[in-house]
Amino acid sequence: MFALEFPPINEILRWREVAPSLNKVGLIAVAAALIAIVVFILATRQDHRKAPTGVRNFAETTVEFVENGIVMQTMGRDGLGWTPFLLSLFVFIYLCNAPGIIPILQMPATARMAIPAFLSILVWIIYNGAGIKHQGFGGYFKSVLFPPGVPKALYALVTPIEFISTIIVRPFSLMVRLFANMLAGHILLVTFALLSEALFQARDKVLVPFGVLPMFMLIFLTGFEVLVAFLQAYIFTILTAVYIGGAVHPEH
Amino acid sequence: MLTAVITHRGENSVQVKLVGQSTGLVTPKIEAEEGQDMGPNPIAPEGKELLWGGLSFVVMAVAIRYFLFPKLKKGMDDRYAGIRADHESAEATTAAARGDVAEYEKALVAVRAEAAAKVDAARQTLDSERQAAINELNSRIAARRSEADAALSAAREANRSQITAAVSAVVTRATELSVGRAPDAAVVERAIADAMAGGSR
Repeated sequence: MFALEFPPINEILRWREVAPSLNKVGLIAVAAALIAIVVFILATRQDHRKAPTGVRNFAETTVEFVENGIVMQTMGRDGLGWTPFLLSLFVFIYLCNAPGIIPILQMPATARMAIPAFLSILVWIIYNGAGIKHQGFGGYFKSVLFPPGVPKALYALVTPIEFISTIIVRPFSLMVRLFANMLAGHILLVTFALLSEALFQARDKVLVPFGVLPMFMLIFLTGFEVLVAFLQAYIFTILTAVYIGGAVHPEH
Repeated sequence: MLTAVITHRGENSVQVKLVGQSTGLVTPKIEAEEGQDMGPNPIAPEGKELLWGGLSFVVMAVAIRYFLFPKLKKGMDDRYAGIRADHESAEATTAAARGDVAEYEKALVAVRAEAAAKVDAARQTLDSERQAAINELNSRIAARRSEADAALSAAREANRSQITAAVSAVVTRATELSVGRAPDAAVVERAIADAMAGGSR
């Protein structure tokens, strides 16, 4: 009945190049870093003795959210030293996710594999490095591959599973979870936007009023993407904290 | 009825489009033509995105780790320390005020007890003075009453003597008139005395 032509996925991920070596994703990543730096610079310039307002209030709330909602919940007081890294991770991912619902930009930079891949590999290096630093090379891999309390006969089964899950699967799961969620959200928004446009411009005028249905769905999903952008940043960061905490304090 | 439109895209891809003749929806136009770049691979990361994304994150993370977070955190800690100090100072002031209030209440209790004791002593003094005055008054009343009683008894006795003398004279005269001789005065007096004693009974 309909001749709705949905573009291939790679078609909806194609953007005009800003420069030969810089595309929209790179531009969003640079903008995210600059926005974060500018916000924190403005926050640090305000008088810290007065009750925080505006940008400083926002920055302090974010810091306290990462400290109390992520670090203290997963690593305890010993993990507070990781707050700057986790704060950077949370803010950067959120600011890369948010453009998915910002008009004109309308693309989360994390809906492309590059940034999730880079961050996941970085997290992989960091939690393994932290584990080796705290426990030594042998101690870390012993705690990872031979978890205490497991009957020795089960090590033949548990050790390969632990190796695969901790060393190989974790970065992939981190990367794919963020990338797939943001890409799926982007595709959903594109789908309902195209459907709305197709119905509103249908030659058969009976179909035109039905265009409001996908349009309302588009509005609802846009609101939902606000939540998803925050949630994915939070999940990525809290999993990072869990991995680092597990590597540094395997007894926990 | 639907019409399938098959389009080759690149070497290995084919796009199938179903066109409905009845409604003929207008669809967003895809500008890509055969042999034209269809956009990035949806899975594989691009080198320039990795470079810009990674570089941006590293710069931001370093700036936050070494410059921005310590400064912000120090400000937060200083303010929290100030708030904590103010809070402790306020708690100390409250405790001191509570001590003062306790001392005041203790003093108030002592003053109230002293006042109550003084009021009791005054009340006792007043009671004893009133009792003494009442006693004195009662004794004066008793004396007056005994004086009055004595005067009353004397007057009654005088009246009685007068009446006895008058009755005795009448009886003696009446007896003289009827019998012809005067009766014995002692007998008459005794009879009158007995009669008056009986009347007064």
